[in-house]
Amino acid sequence: MRNAGEQEDTKVDVINGVEFKRIITAAAQVLAESKDQINALNVFPVPDGDTGTNMALTLQAALRELDNLETDSISKVAQAIARGSLMGARGNSGVILSQYFRGFSDGLGKLKSANGRQLAKAFDQASKRTYKAVMKPVEGTMLTVGRAIAEACTAACEAEELSVADIWKIAVEAGSKALDNTPNILPILKQAGVVDAGGKGLLVALEGAYKALVGEIEIADKPLVMQEQTQEAITRIEGVLVNKYCTEFLIKGEQLDVDQIRSDLAPKGESLLVVGDQKVVKIHIHTDHPGQVLEYCTGIGNLTDIKIDNMQYQNERITEPGTPGKNGLEAPSNPIVSRNSSKEKKPIGVVAVVPGDGLAEIFTSLGVDIALYGGQTMNPSTEELVRAVEEVNADSVIILPNNKNVIFSAEQVKELVEKRVEVIATATVPQGIAAMIGFGDHLDLEANLQSMQEQLAHVRSGEITFAVRSTKAGELSIEEQDYIGLADGKIVAAGQSLTDVGVSLLDNLVDDSSSLISIYFGGDLEPETAELFKQEVANRYGHCEVELYYGGQPLYFYIISVE
Amino acid sequence: MPKVHVVTDTGSDLPAEIRSKYNIHLVPLSIQFGEEIYLDTLELGAEQFYQRLAESSVLPSTCQPSPADFVKCYEQISEPGDEIISVHLSSRLSGTYQSAVLASTLVEKRSIHIIDTKSASIGIGLVAVAIAEAVQNGASAAEALAVGERVIEDLQVYFVVDTLEYLRRNGRIGAASAMVGSLLNIKPVLTLANGIVTPFDKVRGKARAIKRIYDLFADYVRTHPGRKIRVGLVHSNCLDETLELADKLKAEFPIEDLMIGLIGPTIGVHVGPGTIALLWYPI
Repeated sequence: MRNAGEQEDTKVDVINGVEFKRIITAAAQVLAESKDQINALNVFPVPDGDTGTNMALTLQAALRELDNLETDSISKVAQAIARGSLMGARGNSGVILSQYFRGFSDGLGKLKSANGRQLAKAFDQASKRTYKAVMKPVEGTMLTVGRAIAEACTAACEAEELSVADIWKIAVEAGSKALDNTPNILPILKQAGVVDAGGKGLLVALEGAYKALVGEIEIADKPLVMQEQTQEAITRIEGVLVNKYCTEFLIKGEQLDVDQIRSDLAPKGESLLVVGDQKVVKIHIHTDHPGQVLEYCTGIGNLTDIKIDNMQYQNERITEPGTPGKNGLEAPSNPIVSRNSSKEKKPIGVVAVVPGDGLAEIFTSLGVDIALYGGQTMNPSTEELVRAVEEVNADSVIILPNNKNVIFSAEQVKELVEKRVEVIATATVPQGIAAMIGFGDHLDLEANLQSMQEQLAHVRSGEITFAVRSTKAGELSIEEQDYIGLADGKIVAAGQSLTDVGVSLLDNLVDDSSSLISIYFGGDLEPETAELFKQEVANRYGHCEVELYYGGQPLYFYIISVE
Repeated sequence: MPKVHVVTDTGSDLPAEIRSKYNIHLVPLSIQFGEEIYLDTLELGAEQFYQRLAESSVLPSTCQPSPADFVKCYEQISEPGDEIISVHLSSRLSGTYQSAVLASTLVEKRSIHIIDTKSASIGIGLVAVAIAEAVQNGASAAEALAVGERVIEDLQVYFVVDTLEYLRRNGRIGAASAMVGSLLNIKPVLTLANGIVTPFDKVRGKARAIKRIYDLFADYVRTHPGRKIRVGLVHSNCLDETLELADKLKAEFPIEDLMIGLIGPTIGVHVGPGTIALLWYPI
């Protein structure tokens, strides 16, 4: 028992902003190094195990917020990390991680440095935040790991004063135990023989931080930076690029008014993004007059990190391979964004996420305003979705995620923009197309939402890809590299012949009331192969119309809809 | 009782034998291919029209009958003291109704009633037939007019076109202009509301669009139990699908009468080949 006023001994140490930044940087590094390992934990043996990539990129984006933050306050560092991960969040796991950081930051309040007890509180708030953020919390996931950490740290603090290092060690141990237990909570994990990927990602990050805290690892001088696929939307009018200078910078000042800045800069260009708080605001804009934009902002505060790129030449610059791909396959190196340019304001606009260039064209022809690339290998970040939504010249915007891992990110956009944003929770490309069939320019927003939602019930979705590892799915035995067919997200066919798997999948999707089979073939296939498959399908299902289109998506040989 | 004569225009797509049977007189619109002008039905039949359309690089247009054309018709078919009921294309789609109204002020000693069916194609035909039939059964002009009004109120119409281009380029597309074309073989299902073309639904593939129309008919029958239905089914170059649909309808629903016809040049100019239209009302 210590009396108040007694000198605290060195066991009760504290961690400040500088130290926190250091260990989170280490966490990001370790997470980036482990991403493949985490990706491999995807329950489905499909080549879009995004969790590791998504969480690593989310944390990397978070760190960028710290690049020019000069502070030794831990709460300020935590807030910056929360802010950065909010916008940089990719995929469900990225969004949950960003909520974890937000809770962590809330828990630290305004502290300049934190002791063990205060850290425990932060872990606790972090966990609570994640449960609040998810509509239907599922145990056996990152949520469970976070909760085990929170409970262990809180309990430990009741017994005695613990050092920061002690608390963090308890956190890692409790997290590890909870992670190992996840297969006992979620049957699909047990069947696939893996622990939960999101939980693993969280643990890896916290472990990395711990090791840096106690000096077990060094931060590399040049930390591993992952290639990101950047989306730069460009407008051509009669072949000439307009608003061609992509201009980015930070404004640092006092009492900065984000909304005011946004409305003042809006007329000066397009793709405007204004994010930040009273002290630091990040600006991104495409303009023909970067000087004017900068000049205006010098009246508000000090400018740093000024970057101006001429986008005319930028496309040629992006010649590096895009996302790190699976099994040597890579996503197309040019970001694919296509848009219906319309200078007139309309009541409702639509943003769709598409995995391939052919599909981008199809969605655009259906009336979508912006088709944003992001599918199997790379989910778009919340920021990319925000940019697309800001760009649509409409009062309200509907987002079609077309991938179940993008739905959560899309929902986040609602809070981040002024426009009215609604998400039709399309989990597959066929659902997205069906939703657009239900879209009518002549309908108001409520009528459209209803009409689009109704269409989803009438379409069945199929996908054919290959297995990245051997596994069992129900009764099916799957070998690595086998073709696998998924019906509405469930593996129903596997084998070594693409055509046989395709037919087997279709047998599962087609019934007597079906009348239309649409096949969208991927960028990895020759059109002739696709044509032969189409013939095979048409012969087999005589009562259906069969249509074949070029989708261009990577890794998924066929995306199929049955109506 | 004074004699009642029934007149309509070539937008009504009534088969010749039906016009004969009910003694319905026809005032033609003109079809213009560049410099060449033809009177619908009298100088250019439906089959010839679609043939010409396929071969022509010029998009044809239609021209409403002049008031003089109506005056001539009204005076020719009737005697002083007679009544005339003139049944026409939606006034929001064509100036034909206006011409007829003007003509009615110029003709003496006949009581002339002009009806805006707010419809097109066989919809006009169904109204004209209902009125002519009433007259043949001894109804007065006033009674026949009442019959006509009721049919107009109850008339249902759905149609599918291969492409919106004809409607678009002839200016009758209305709100359907927002139904974008696409790479996915999407067919618009359209209707008429308040006398103009109105979008109803989008469906992938012609067969499924026709099924959609069939489903709409089925829904209607279900929600109007005990009623018999009079149907008009017209098409432009879709004979097989039309006959198939007709057979299905006759087999499955309480149809009192089903008129099948070809969409004539007047309407054909605006919808193009590949159109199927189903119109009906309950008796």
